Amino acid sequence: MNRVAMLRRMRLIRTFEGALAARRDHGFQLLSAGEEAVAVGLCAALAAEDQLLTGGRSIGFALARGLPPGPVMAELLGRVDGPNQGRAGRGHLSWPAYGFFGAHAVVAGNMSVAAGVALARRLREAAGMVVCVFGDGACGAGALHETLNIAALWRLPVLFVCNNNQFAVSTRPEATLAGRAGDLAGAYGIFARRVDGMDVDAVAAACAALAARVRDGGGPVFLECASARFLAHSTAARETRMADELRETRARCPIAALQAALLRDGEVSESALATLEAEVAAEVAAAIAFAEASPFPSPEEALADAE
Amino acid sequence: MPNEKIFYREGIARALHEAMAADERVFVMGQDVGAFGGAYREFDGLHAAFGPERVRDMPVAEAAMVGIGLGAAAAGMRPVVSVTYMDFLMLALDPLVNYGAKLRFKTAGKLTAPLVVITTAGAKGQGVAHSQCIEAWLMGVPGLKVVAPATPDDAYGLMRAALAADGPVVYVAHKKLFPMAGACGAGDVPMGAANIIRAGRDVTITAHSYMTRIALAAADNLSVEGISCEIVDIRSLRPLDVGLVAASVARTGALVTLEEGQLACGVGGEIAARVREALGPLPVQRIGARAAPVSSNPVLERACIPDAARVAAETRRFILNDATSRWRAG
Repeated sequence: MNRVAMLRRMRLIRTFEGALAARRDHGFQLLSAGEEAVAVGLCAALAAEDQLLTGGRSIGFALARGLPPGPVMAELLGRVDGPNQGRAGRGHLSWPAYGFFGAHAVVAGNMSVAAGVALARRLREAAGMVVCVFGDGACGAGALHETLNIAALWRLPVLFVCNNNQFAVSTRPEATLAGRAGDLAGAYGIFARRVDGMDVDAVAAACAALAARVRDGGGPVFLECASARFLAHSTAARETRMADELRETRARCPIAALQAALLRDGEVSESALATLEAEVAAEVAAAIAFAEASPFPSPEEALADAE
Repeated sequence: MPNEKIFYREGIARALHEAMAADERVFVMGQDVGAFGGAYREFDGLHAAFGPERVRDMPVAEAAMVGIGLGAAAAGMRPVVSVTYMDFLMLALDPLVNYGAKLRFKTAGKLTAPLVVITTAGAKGQGVAHSQCIEAWLMGVPGLKVVAPATPDDAYGLMRAALAADGPVVYVAHKKLFPMAGACGAGDVPMGAANIIRAGRDVTITAHSYMTRIALAAADNLSVEGISCEIVDIRSLRPLDVGLVAASVARTGALVTLEEGQLACGVGGEIAARVREALGPLPVQRIGARAAPVSSNPVLERACIPDAARVAAETRRFILNDATSRWRAG
């Protein structure tokens, strides 16, 4: 994926989530403004046969992975033309055919599952690796440590990505983690790196290098992306930061940074940017229209596939 | 070999061996399942036959064990994960309940998790955190199946059924049953089918797992006094065969539920409520563990867990008491 394509994908995520949050019927959403470079840089390094598992902050990763925005919007708004017929929502969105094995909204709950998907690949001698994304909040969980140990022991093909957006709801990692997220994997002999998660080029390069190690049979690897959350934890949560701090954080916008770099490097023109923005806006409008045209499930659907 | 005698543990091992030979997707993971053959020899011979890739020893990490099993199942395998003691299944309830049980629903059928978790319940002198029967906790989870075989025949047949199911199954074995011998007809046992293991006229006693043996012994005692007990081995806790129990109670006119676990929100309470909903008012007596931890002290352990004498006494008192008699007469 070239840099303009990455910019386009990042803008799509920002615009898509903004349009979703602006709706009165958006429900309960965890948005990813400020974290787009992690999602897009990571997915730029993935192949079609790879499978991605995320936590509950899933929308950016789903769009970065290439899921069509219309069905994703339908899923988020609870409509039957979502990939999970509107039952899963943001917290549990999945579409394995697109290499998106799924979100799982239990913090650290996706990690052992990801290792299991990787084990299945090993046993079936299937191609591709598994990527597991989680937040800094997962780093104190037993599930993370249990899974890292077994993944290392069995040399499972997993790229673990800690999207460290510096907050578990309102709590900073310094208050909950004795050490740094990127150092945890080293105890299990897992190769680990830390990257600036606001720099999509750096994320993409780091992910490509780490993915190559996994594909070469080197076992699991661990990447910590230092990112920043521009909004409150969720659309229902109070913002806990002061206005000055928020202003400083938002000034580090990964989209603005990439756009400036592309203009400076002559890879894109102002007019091309305007066109790109208009196209993204049209794509999001089409996604909203697709979702609105799709009905809610009937109440009987509550029992479908329940057993 | 139809109708040969085998041990309960052999019924489990045989079903697993056959399934692993027939289907490359089936594999076993857990603590001490490899060359050791399982804490109760329920995995005897599998490591020698299929090797360490398909019979995998794991660290003491129940949450990850079950989560990895679910992930592998969702990605096309048919794993069996052994959680040595049911007490430690508590550590794995997050992946089992929050992921596995919901996967089919939340993916609108795109993914399923055909995982079997085999675990052991029951008291056998191992104390407060190695004796519990918490299968009732699992009965309220849509998307889970729970079976608890009592005989070698059912141990084999229900393992086959569990391995063929398309969602997570918790297979509850019992520590005292592993060395018990019995006939094995090598047949299928469908999930959700209870079984009348003793016909009787005066009262229906439901039980599962090891408590079926206690019920049978109590019924022997009561028959001497002229009280005829019909005993239903529940076998499958979710789905629950309410129809068979209700039909039995419709004949006998009274229901005793027996379990080794706690009575509050227990298996018996659920059976009683469902039978009541099917039949209308009826006399019911629940029998289960005392409301206390189960000690490794043999005197205290015995004091907690129902035995044949207590089941006979409570059933006798229930059958002969005024309210039950009046209801049955009326």
